[in-house]
Amino acid sequence: MRWVDLKESLKDFWFEFKRQKGGLLGLFLLALLVFTALAAPYITEPDIPEKWTAYWEGNPTNVPPVWYNYFTAKKLAPHRILTYRDVKITSEGEDLGGGIRYYAFEFDYNNRYDLPPKDLIIKNIGVKLADLNSPAQIVITVFRPDGQKIELLSADLVEGSIYQIAKMGAVRNNVFNWALQFEDPKNVEGRVETIKSTMDVMEVIFAKAEPGILINPQPLHGDYKFQVEIFTFNEGDRIDLKQIQIILTGRTYGFMGTDYKGRDLWAGLVWGTRVSLVVGVSVAVLSVLIGIAYGVTSAYLGGWKDEFMQRVNEFVASIPTLPILILLGAAFKGHVTLWTIVFLLVMFGWTGIAKVARSMALQIKEQTYVEAAKALGAGTGRIIFKHIMPQIMPYAFAVMALSVPGAVLTEASLSFLGLGDPTAVTWGQILYDAQTNSATINGYWWWVIPPGLAISLVALTFVLIGVALDRVLNPRLRRL
Amino acid sequence: MGYGRYLAIRLLNALLVLALVTLLVSILFTKVAEEDLKSSIQEQINMKLRANPELMKQLSADPERFQEWYQNEYNRLIGAYELDKPFWVRVLERTKDTLTLNFGNTKTPIFGETNVKKIIAAAIPRTVLLFTTAQIIVILIGLLLGVKAAQVAGSALDRAVSIIAMLTSSIPMWWFGMIAILVFSFKLGWFPSGGMTSTPPKEGFAYYTDILYHMVLPVGTIVFVLFGGWAWTTRNIMIGTMQEDFIMAARAKGVPERKVIYGHALRAAAPPIITMTIFSLLGSLGGAIITEGVFNWPGMGRLYWTALQQNETRLLMGVTFVTVALYLISMILADLAYGYLDPRVKVGASQRT
Repeated sequence: MRWVDLKESLKDFWFEFKRQKGGLLGLFLLALLVFTALAAPYITEPDIPEKWTAYWEGNPTNVPPVWYNYFTAKKLAPHRILTYRDVKITSEGEDLGGGIRYYAFEFDYNNRYDLPPKDLIIKNIGVKLADLNSPAQIVITVFRPDGQKIELLSADLVEGSIYQIAKMGAVRNNVFNWALQFEDPKNVEGRVETIKSTMDVMEVIFAKAEPGILINPQPLHGDYKFQVEIFTFNEGDRIDLKQIQIILTGRTYGFMGTDYKGRDLWAGLVWGTRVSLVVGVSVAVLSVLIGIAYGVTSAYLGGWKDEFMQRVNEFVASIPTLPILILLGAAFKGHVTLWTIVFLLVMFGWTGIAKVARSMALQIKEQTYVEAAKALGAGTGRIIFKHIMPQIMPYAFAVMALSVPGAVLTEASLSFLGLGDPTAVTWGQILYDAQTNSATINGYWWWVIPPGLAISLVALTFVLIGVALDRVLNPRLRRL
Repeated sequence: MGYGRYLAIRLLNALLVLALVTLLVSILFTKVAEEDLKSSIQEQINMKLRANPELMKQLSADPERFQEWYQNEYNRLIGAYELDKPFWVRVLERTKDTLTLNFGNTKTPIFGETNVKKIIAAAIPRTVLLFTTAQIIVILIGLLLGVKAAQVAGSALDRAVSIIAMLTSSIPMWWFGMIAILVFSFKLGWFPSGGMTSTPPKEGFAYYTDILYHMVLPVGTIVFVLFGGWAWTTRNIMIGTMQEDFIMAARAKGVPERKVIYGHALRAAAPPIITMTIFSLLGSLGGAIITEGVFNWPGMGRLYWTALQQNETRLLMGVTFVTVALYLISMILADLAYGYLDPRVKVGASQRT
């Protein structure tokens, strides 16, 4: 085929394809998916696959996305991370005499939410102690919009200290004692210890100072100022606040919320596109190519060879794929890679196409031009690849597109059963985690709905393209 | 090649597949048995040491002698359990166990049972109950909708059927089950989120209505995901049949349209539709199995899920073997049905060129 001919036939093809609305929609979706897959490192972060299997420290677990606030009456605080740039340094090593130095910084938090952050974590305070036996001292205080002031914590500061306000017993004590002065004594009578151990520390810190603050805290909106003071007692002690990190653990997180490991589901969703597309497309292309080569060869050889190849085909076709895949997956559990899955799916996926290709090739084989080629002394390979295959290729493209959804769904099913590549970020695996952590009965919709929609979207994209291709390339179907 | 020979080949084929699966299962079986036995051997040696303090004192004084004693003991037990035989010999020995469905016991009881054979025997009827009910509904809806769509090809209904078929065939059935639980069980609280009966099970007639109540969500899920594809396939077959000459002849004779469709066309389209039924039944079995796991329905799917979650390899082997065997039996039944329904079947004769 010459270049001009190819260009011409492509032009014809595009003219026909343009009229298939579903096909165009499919192409648009495909472009979107490919873009997402390619741009994944830029849309999210480039190191997602490496850190995917670990717990994401500091992130809230099982929280809905930020935009969930638009649909709820109770506004939930989003996740926020403050760094050196967000804090106001008020004292940098002021000498208080006697070798004592004073450092202090402040940060503001505007609480517009009905449920405040889950926790307040302060970490990475760069402290170098000259003498490990005399640690520095840290005092954390909050100034509330109503003028009240709570001293949350006064504790030792050593290298590597992390302060999780909501989880520290000392803070709980301080906050409880502070709140008790406003609480109606009748509310806590006889239940002091229970209330103290079960109250949500953060909710009380951000609550209106009124009776009921302990048993049913009402949110107090406004600007809160947190002050952190550090005292060092040795001349050699060094404090460096450049790396400081203050995490206000959210009740909502990002575009898609988080799962039980605190992982950003949006990142998983974006990166999952890659696996889905790569597995789907490579399985489809490989199995169609193998199937067509097999079918055409079988038809061309004829006789007992054809018979034998057909028997082999039937044998493979009658193997129930999923149970066998599950069995193999369980046997290699933990060592399955994406390419193993591709290989297995191709192994079971070529048979149907081989059958159709064979019957098409049987017709083509009888054409006079094949006979002419034979008479001219063309070899088997040349006839198959030069004369028969090009006739079947248009059909092949449609079948390729139509066999992607099956591959995508099977891959997702295997991952959902926990048999996928454990190191890859896949949608099926996100849903597997959701299922094993009872996400459905806990109502974690943000964890269940998006990955499945994504799987369906990929499948639908290729169904649309496949059906449109089929209509254009196999005109006999057009009357239907 | 006549129909008899075709069937014989199909049978042989099924046996070959079964043999392959048996071999696979047996290999896995041998591996698991080896691991189990080795850990049991360690245990036995330790027991022996603990039961005999005199020996322990002697051996702990001399590490070299201890090594020697340990190795001797280990080799003796390996021999006793026949673990010194070559791998393939053991695989062949295990094949017998596989073929007689003798898969041994699970580590923890499932459905109050540890014998794999009994567990599977308890699970099969439950899967059949759920799956058959769903499939009957799917076929009924699919058939009616498909015939209707074929009748008015190109209309809004016809296009709707195509679109629904495309959409639902792209949905993973088990995921849709999760969504159904999220919406109807968590959010609205209309249906239970899983299981086959309430705990504890109800008595008398209420027991059966309770099962029906628990079946609504899983059956609804299977029906929703499958009916579109079904209607679409029926539609395509029917449209093909409706263009045949005998339909034109029937119409020309003045046979009422209703009778043309249900009497003539549907009858001619029956064989492909019925084989489609059986094959799509088999095809959707995989998805339905996983869906069952999502709904915690105590059938084969739940067994797959439990086996994978709790590393019950013996159970997994049993379930896989039984599933494959059932699959192959149904496939042969499909072939038989096709030959019976369509006397034109002369497979192979037309293929010979």
